[in-house]
Amino acid sequence: MKKKKRITERNITMFAFSVPATVLYILFFIYPVGAGIYYSLTDWNGLTNNYHFIGIKNYVSVLRSSRFQNAIRFNFKYTILLVVSIVGLSLIMALILNSKIKAKSFFRGVYFFPAVVSMLTVGLIFNEVFFQVLPPIGQLLHIEWMSRSLLSSSKTAIYAILITNVWQGIAIPTVLLMAGLQNVPQELVESASLDGARKWNIFKSITFPFLLPVLTVVTVLVIKDGLTIYDYIVALTNGGPGGATESTALLIYNHGFKEVNFSLGIAEAVIVTVIICFISFIQIAFSNKKSVY
Amino acid sequence: MSNKLKKMKKTALYLFLIIGVIIIAYPIYLTIITSMKTPQELSRSFFALPERLNFDNFIAILTDSDYPRTVLNTLTITVFASLGTIAVIPMVSYAIARSMREKRYYKYLYFFLLAGIFVPFTVKMLPLIKVMSVMNMLNIPGLVIVYISSAICEGVFLYVAFIQGIPIELEEAAYIDGATTRRTFVNIIFPLLSPMTATVLIKNGLWFWNDFLLPLLTLNKSPDYWTLTLFQYNFKMTHAINYPMIFAAFPLSMLPIMVFYVFMQKKIIGGLTNGAVKG
Repeated sequence: MKKKKRITERNITMFAFSVPATVLYILFFIYPVGAGIYYSLTDWNGLTNNYHFIGIKNYVSVLRSSRFQNAIRFNFKYTILLVVSIVGLSLIMALILNSKIKAKSFFRGVYFFPAVVSMLTVGLIFNEVFFQVLPPIGQLLHIEWMSRSLLSSSKTAIYAILITNVWQGIAIPTVLLMAGLQNVPQELVESASLDGARKWNIFKSITFPFLLPVLTVVTVLVIKDGLTIYDYIVALTNGGPGGATESTALLIYNHGFKEVNFSLGIAEAVIVTVIICFISFIQIAFSNKKSVY
Repeated sequence: MSNKLKKMKKTALYLFLIIGVIIIAYPIYLTIITSMKTPQELSRSFFALPERLNFDNFIAILTDSDYPRTVLNTLTITVFASLGTIAVIPMVSYAIARSMREKRYYKYLYFFLLAGIFVPFTVKMLPLIKVMSVMNMLNIPGLVIVYISSAICEGVFLYVAFIQGIPIELEEAAYIDGATTRRTFVNIIFPLLSPMTATVLIKNGLWFWNDFLLPLLTLNKSPDYWTLTLFQYNFKMTHAINYPMIFAAFPLSMLPIMVFYVFMQKKIIGGLTNGAVKG
């Protein structure tokens, strides 16, 4: 009898524990996402009281619009550049910082610092760096592309954003990879080098497979950052010059809040989500196959 | 011979590391020297050191602007959102981790909550703001609640994995001693969760503190509500010509987090690593 009562007590408490999170999640996550998908099938502009159901018209016009295609193209190009630079650089940094060097914690502290500053502040500082610091250096050295601000040309603006992002963005991947390197069994590395294996081969066949899970996490994080980039662009170019750096996130923001085209903005957001889910899924499936765990 | 080569390699390595340090420090150094100049000094040279240690710009911002209030707002938001996160997420994670095997409800709830990890913020951004505006939540408490809700998915993912690693015998002992489930959770489980709690606090705390898009969408209408990033953003818009003044706002908006970083460096780095590597 008493036991039954206590099981009930446990069930009730456990259920009560799950209520707050579930309610918040439904109200401020599931409901907006669901409502968003519903509105994307209407012609609601976000302000008026009446709207009509128009089916997938928004999706069709989004996929046809050259502005959306440009934004997607920008995001893809940017993400590829970002993944290559950040994963490459942070791997090098992690390997160096993990080797036997002096003042390790000093270097680690300095290299990690950019991660705690807000992206907006970093973006605004680099905005000034691109306007004030690089052009005089470029003029001095007679380098054509450097003597004007990188941000003022539609060809170079994406690299200016990239440089800013890399400056701040390698911090967390570097620390994650450093921690991942702790998982590499040192006995294996040592016996391989005693057997005369070359450093590159040790890296390729021992370090890399053990590092792969962390490398996957890092890559997924960087891909997500690249595909949803917003703060740096607002701080550096606001989508310019001439729309060359309008990312999908900025486009969604512009459509939803500035150009009174709410339902179109959501249709864009849904398409972007599908793309992101698809890419993360492939990425995770792919690395699960290769991982040693 | 080989010794010499080794030494050269070592030197190259340190050189590389030091160049990296310069690349990281230089923009911050420039920011600080620029903020100590007068506009006249600046027009002469961008790179020269200021003629004297001139803190006028800093003092001007500290005393005659929205700075103190925005720091307070940011602090309030970060503290309450972090506390809320720590109140809500461990509870639900405990219920899920311990009941998932027996009850289907918790298993489904787990996958239901996890699904949110893959949805980027932009997809719910527009309707979320509509919901908040209907519920009269475009203010600081509203933003805090939305932050807590947005932290749930990842938090549950991290905590459930962690709780599953805690042996259940402790709870069984408490159960035999007659402790209620609530007391077992508060007195036994919650303290054991502290490594993961540190991770979740640091990850989310940095996000709440540095976030720009959500405050821009919810709090930008009045300076009374501004956070530090909004202050920084609007300050730049209104002081378009006075460069030293703009630059003085940069260190000031970084100052609180810099101080925090200097004292908590190990904890911050450790916390951020925990979630991704061991989780």
